[in-house]
Amino acid sequence: MAGYGAFEMIAYTGSGVLEDETIVFVGTGLPIISAMFAQLTHAPNLNMIFEAGSLASILEQGMPLSVGDTRAFRKALYAKGLCNAFELTQRGYADYAFIGGAQIDMYGNINSHFQGGTYGRPVTRFPGSGGAGAMAANCEKTISIMALEKRRFVEKLDFCSSIGFGDGSPDYRRKAGVLGSGPYRVITNQALFGFDPESHRMMLLEVIPGKKPDDIQKMVSFELLISPYLKEMKEPSEDDLRLLREKCDPEGFFLKRKVFE
Amino acid sequence: MVTRVSSDIMNITALSREEINKRADAPFEFWGPTPEEARKAAVAKTKGLKDKQCTLKKALSTYLRDGINIGIGGFVNTRAPVAIIHEIIRQGAKNLTLSFQSNSICCELLAGAMILEPDHLSIRRIELAWYGYGVIGIAPLLRYLTSKGMVELDDYTNYGMSARFKAGAMGVPFLPTRDHGGSDMELVNRGQMVKCPFTDENVYLVPACHPDLAIIHVPMSDMYGNARIFGALCTCPEIAQAAVNCILTTEQIIPDGNIRSYPNLTEIPYAVVDAVVEQPFGATPGACYGYYWFDMPYFLKFKKICDEFRKTGNKDKLRAYYDEYIFGCETFDDFLEKKPYKLLKDLIKQDGAQPIVKI
Repeated sequence: MAGYGAFEMIAYTGSGVLEDETIVFVGTGLPIISAMFAQLTHAPNLNMIFEAGSLASILEQGMPLSVGDTRAFRKALYAKGLCNAFELTQRGYADYAFIGGAQIDMYGNINSHFQGGTYGRPVTRFPGSGGAGAMAANCEKTISIMALEKRRFVEKLDFCSSIGFGDGSPDYRRKAGVLGSGPYRVITNQALFGFDPESHRMMLLEVIPGKKPDDIQKMVSFELLISPYLKEMKEPSEDDLRLLREKCDPEGFFLKRKVFE
Repeated sequence: MVTRVSSDIMNITALSREEINKRADAPFEFWGPTPEEARKAAVAKTKGLKDKQCTLKKALSTYLRDGINIGIGGFVNTRAPVAIIHEIIRQGAKNLTLSFQSNSICCELLAGAMILEPDHLSIRRIELAWYGYGVIGIAPLLRYLTSKGMVELDDYTNYGMSARFKAGAMGVPFLPTRDHGGSDMELVNRGQMVKCPFTDENVYLVPACHPDLAIIHVPMSDMYGNARIFGALCTCPEIAQAAVNCILTTEQIIPDGNIRSYPNLTEIPYAVVDAVVEQPFGATPGACYGYYWFDMPYFLKFKKICDEFRKTGNKDKLRAYYDEYIFGCETFDDFLEKKPYKLLKDLIKQDGAQPIVKI
């Protein structure tokens, strides 16, 4: 088996979730790589929306470094502003959201505002909702990308920034006035999670070869449901890795986690 | 009769009762002009075509005052109105409210000025969706100010802030959105969940945002303020039209005859603009589609200085930065003088000659 990094595995798994003939609303980094890889493999007719207002760009100039940048608008079919991108989404034209955050709970709610202290005086303030809160509400399916760590998979969020299934009740999202169907997948480098359609609780669907459900449970603060159809995660082949490294992120900004210093 | 309702957010929130009540009990206020005040200001303007070109010094000495709400254009590192921010810092203003979509260096520059000289420039509160550096990480001065409780924040989603500026631009007091509800933003921000009178479903209303002053950088404008934007429009047209006054910096002034040849390309109409300043590289170290790419090393340099201050509390390097690059410069051109020609040439090259209509 080829040697691959954690972020390469996440990008590869993310691409597998995306279907052809859909529109995916992407943020910076791994989501773009997942979408590009999907376009190059099984989903040639998948298109991306960037929140700053572009639809169906061709990323021939390389990896956008922020979602409003020049590269994210390269050869787009439609180039407007944030209102246009989010209104198209609110109208129902974005099938998938890719979001991240600092914490996630068992119902797929995500925190990207602060940790510790209070809202008015946080110990560590993060950038805020950005597009994620709107994407989690309005894209049809929410895919989260998280590092699998106990401190991130928490019993209770310090702050709910992006709505998931709330308290798990069947009408939580409807009462919140949001229309997207909610959390769909949570992607980590060691496990792929979905959600139980009845209880809306996070469910382990796939584990990386060599790991058991117990190993994953140890990395998560809340009790996981285990799918009766539990599978091993598919690993990227040499060809897949070459495509990821040479075509999707040649500068290695995200896959190699090149830290800017 | 519209009924106030709420989602079931109370079932999951970790916010304290005290914090929730503090916000729930506060009477609603616009953090700047009310829709009626904004409308009156627009009506009072003379609306003929006039040459609005001037210097940034003059523009800001006219429109910058203590206590105003400044709407910052651009998005994260794209078309950040950096030249205007430098002049705001030079002239100084206290108790500012900042309203923006998503931004990085503009708010960090203002935050740094406040940390160094709070009697010269200070930020009282910020209404925002996102404040950070994107791929290079969290904004250290935001962390510093919030952890000390030095600024008040009001959080929305990116669409929430866009919708708020759009409501302002439309001249209506609010817009309904399909987000915020069911998240903690419902409990802490100034929006309100109501039952829709037509569908009977819950819907989240966000209040209009009218800045006193919009600061926007555009690729091109004529001398009257008719502006074109290429690449991401961000929320610049809405911010410009929502604000009471608007200052544009532009990469270049183009002839108004050219604007009349392609009126469909005008994103900001002259009537909402009060001052036009031709300032090439006016968004650097940010990017401007069709003109230049990010100056990433510059972002890293500034962020590193801010990170060091946050960790050590020592202001020396931060002060040296401001003394050299802002207070030590008379104009933004003087700041650009400090950049090697080779760097500027390279930033232009890295843009990759995007398709824009100049003729």
